[in-house]
Amino acid sequence: MLARRWLSMVLVLGSVLLLIGCGGAEPEASEETIKIGAVYDLTGATADVGTPYADGIRDYVRWLNGQGGVGGRQIELFGADYAYTVDQAEQLYSQYVSQEGVVAFQGWGTGDTEALRGRVAEDEIPYMSASYSAGMQSPDDAPYNFLVGTTYSDQFRIAIDYAIENSASGSPTIALLHHDSPFGQSPLEDGRAYAESHGAEVIGISMPGGATDYTAELTQVQGAGAEFIVIQNVSSPAATLVKDVDRLGMDSQVICLNWCTDELFVSLAGGAAEGVIGASPFAFPSSGVAGLEEIREYAESQNKNLDELGVHYVQGWTTMAVMTEAISRVLDAGDEVTGPNIRAQLEQMSGFETGGITSPLTFTSDDHAGNKALVLYQVQDGLWVPLTDYVSAE
Amino acid sequence: MDKFLQLTLTGLTNGAIFSLVALGFVLIYKASDVINFAQGDFLLVGAYVTFGLVAQVGIPWPLGVLLTMVIAVILGLAVERFVLRPLIGEPIISVIMVTIGLASLLQAMVNGIWGTTGRPFPGFIPDQTLRIGSAVIPADRLVAIALAAILLIIFTLFFRYSRHGIAMRATADDQQAALSMGISVKSVFALAWSIAAVTAALAGVLVANIVGVSGVVSSIGLRVFPVVILGGLDSVPGAIVGGVVIGLLEAYTGGYVGGGLQQVIPFIVLILILMVKPYGLFGEERIERV
Amino acid sequence: MESGVFHTTYASDMALRRTPLMRLRLIVVVVFLLVFPFVANGYQLTLANQIGIYAIGAIGLNILTGFTGQISLGQGAFMAVGAYSSGLLAARMGMPWWLTIPVACTVTAAVGAVFGIPSLRLKGLYLAIATLAAQQIIQWLITNWRGLTGGVEALVVPTPELFGLRMSTNFRFYWVVLFFATLTTIFAVNLFRTKIGRAFIAIRDQDIAAEVMGVDIFRYKLLAFATSSFFVGLSGALVAQWRGIVNYERFTIETSIFFLAVIIIGGLGSVAGSIYGAIFMTLLPAILTNLGGAVGGSIPGLAGILPFIQQGVFGLTIVLFLIFEPEGIAKIWKNVKDYFRLWPFSY
Repeated sequence: MLARRWLSMVLVLGSVLLLIGCGGAEPEASEETIKIGAVYDLTGATADVGTPYADGIRDYVRWLNGQGGVGGRQIELFGADYAYTVDQAEQLYSQYVSQEGVVAFQGWGTGDTEALRGRVAEDEIPYMSASYSAGMQSPDDAPYNFLVGTTYSDQFRIAIDYAIENSASGSPTIALLHHDSPFGQSPLEDGRAYAESHGAEVIGISMPGGATDYTAELTQVQGAGAEFIVIQNVSSPAATLVKDVDRLGMDSQVICLNWCTDELFVSLAGGAAEGVIGASPFAFPSSGVAGLEEIREYAESQNKNLDELGVHYVQGWTTMAVMTEAISRVLDAGDEVTGPNIRAQLEQMSGFETGGITSPLTFTSDDHAGNKALVLYQVQDGLWVPLTDYVSAE
Repeated sequence: MDKFLQLTLTGLTNGAIFSLVALGFVLIYKASDVINFAQGDFLLVGAYVTFGLVAQVGIPWPLGVLLTMVIAVILGLAVERFVLRPLIGEPIISVIMVTIGLASLLQAMVNGIWGTTGRPFPGFIPDQTLRIGSAVIPADRLVAIALAAILLIIFTLFFRYSRHGIAMRATADDQQAALSMGISVKSVFALAWSIAAVTAALAGVLVANIVGVSGVVSSIGLRVFPVVILGGLDSVPGAIVGGVVIGLLEAYTGGYVGGGLQQVIPFIVLILILMVKPYGLFGEERIERV
Repeated sequence: MESGVFHTTYASDMALRRTPLMRLRLIVVVVFLLVFPFVANGYQLTLANQIGIYAIGAIGLNILTGFTGQISLGQGAFMAVGAYSSGLLAARMGMPWWLTIPVACTVTAAVGAVFGIPSLRLKGLYLAIATLAAQQIIQWLITNWRGLTGGVEALVVPTPELFGLRMSTNFRFYWVVLFFATLTTIFAVNLFRTKIGRAFIAIRDQDIAAEVMGVDIFRYKLLAFATSSFFVGLSGALVAQWRGIVNYERFTIETSIFFLAVIIIGGLGSVAGSIYGAIFMTLLPAILTNLGGAVGGSIPGLAGILPFIQQGVFGLTIVLFLIFEPEGIAKIWKNVKDYFRLWPFSY
């Protein structure tokens, strides 16, 4: 009898161990590959833009490996969906770092980037993400975070410059309509200070999530007499907002920062999108800059159309390209591929050309925001058309 | 004054959309005492199915909407039969959680089939606006008002005069007594779920017409809780009045106060109402002291 | 031979571990918990710490929902209260981290009791919706009360140190989590052997009868909210100290739903069930992700829809458990034990 009880105990214990062990099934370590970790949002709150960004990252790695990899070594990318939940991102991060031994990491949103900031510094893992909050810019606060896109604060400053230049009065009131989150509020304070020193005024108005209508918020914009509306939100609510601007017959000029400057915004907003200006640190597929050639070629070889994949795909691709460029410089220098070495190479990267997809990137040991400039686009006949060359804030 | 007029009109029209969504909630609660946390995802399914039929298959939109309604009936019946019926007699928490689980399941299915990228809806409601003085109302909101009004009339008549409607009220009142009077409680539940699913699908089509087909459509589900609590969980007119009141409240707060307060004001009202008048303005009081 | 477990004294009937086998199992579990951190890698430790923190939160919720019958959709917000209290006390007032934890728990208990007041008039569905409103209101307060919380910006918590050792590493924090999880479990198991715990259960089973029998419903309901929130706050405070950063995005309505799912799947009204649920709901997505990574490449088309399958599995698990085993893993485990207890003569 007792023996049988023992048997059942052993069975249960064994299965518990198996469950725990399952997560820890170690793949064969290969000396050759360079391991990079990533989290994507494929099913969460930002999956609409997270999916093309993730495809860009993954396709870049496939393309690069097809080209022979970095310095003859293949890139092994460990990535999974984290559904925009911080807990999941932390789990995956620790799995890829402590179990797979990745040397660099591609994140996604503000939540995971903030939450992992301390960890990546501790583990010495260079971290890039699509969250361009200026809070990540200073190596004192975030020694291993690198920003490939122009910071939200700089984007807003550039938009303010544009507003001042094109304002009838020369001292415009600018309404920042923003998502009610760290992402949305990120550029507000920097922009307010910048506007004040340039004789303009910024008011911040938060956009409630999941709304079907922003008329109430827009009456505040009308009340303040704002000549310009800057949107720091994703495409879907931004499109709803500009439709309401259009209906109310407001003559304020709308300027989108990078997360609503995309193809989706135009298709959702339809006619109301005409004339909207967008700030994009990354070149649109339609811009035809030289750096897009290899992306287009690869996409075509996979029977995909780059114009349909869109600007966020280019964004993911380019972000990964910058990371592997640093790795290739580490190899060229004859060093071991480790987090600190990648970071050191990134910090020496000066004027790195991405074939016109972004302005030349320069990271230094006291500024991790490598991209200071962007192109202002305008929607004309349903397409984003460049309005300026690369511009940066003063 | 202009601003006040505009905000009032905006509040009323947005309230109509809330009312539409709330009607489905109320129907299900009235018949079966179930709060459907998946209501928002029923909207999502309705929006995507119509999108698929009209924009992807190429069916003309009146037929597309009609087919969507048929599919919604099937969905409602299936949910009632396979998900809710096994839980009859289980504690409330189980029933709440099963609809939450259902919500996540429906969302995953929609994402799996159509992907997560938002898309423009084939707009069949003219993109025009109606001007009243200096204020504007978009045409699609007028459709929402009309639809809410029609459904209100239909439901009121249905509950007052139709055999099925009376059976539904009887079931809501006392299941045991209804059973002994020969009412098939099972078919009453099935009927309630299919009507609610159709209402939700229509509301989904309307919301998608406004914001496009994307996950945003389902997020309205959570926002109607204050509406149904204010109006009373089991009251059809309450859903309409509650929708309008909450719509106005959000519009005034958004226009005059801002700061995101419009998101939380309805919930503060909800708590107050619950403390003072838990069965809402029009809900049936069930005397039960705790 | 015995045909079952029979108790011949009251003492043995009342004991927590009633049979030699149960005592043996306890020893095995304890040995496992003590040895585990020395053999586990960083990832497994992360999972273990997450399980521990979830288990504490789930036990807290189970005290309220499973044992007292009061549904709460505000768990995420109460966790946030615990996390922010602990984080703010450490960051702004320089309080030692180990002291912020009990203070944060107490603060959360007080907040929980305040938001428990509607439960005196409401039950069932209405209470669930009131707690949903609590979730939204607290979340709004956190993101908008900038003077206190710093608004939507993440709050950076100073690194917890003990005797000069940095405690927030996975390995060291494992012991912190284990300590608090053990205390919580022992407290909860014993709570339901006391008058207060029995009063909770009486309220759940039939509130009017409980009142007739002399249970002061007003007092005990608030006590249940406070006790539950105390542990929920503990789990929040642990997250803050472990992660070193507090951001409201971690404590949304989805967190509330996640914890409800944990106790539904683990077993309503079961302390052990809360722990099983926490283990299951942490390992399930982890295993799915790993399985997906392993087979995703070999079956074309699967990689594309895999994330949605994972998303759907969350909902499907809840639905299937509710339909087929509403009492959760705790009941399944009991069935297995019952089966083997008399095996092969069970029928």
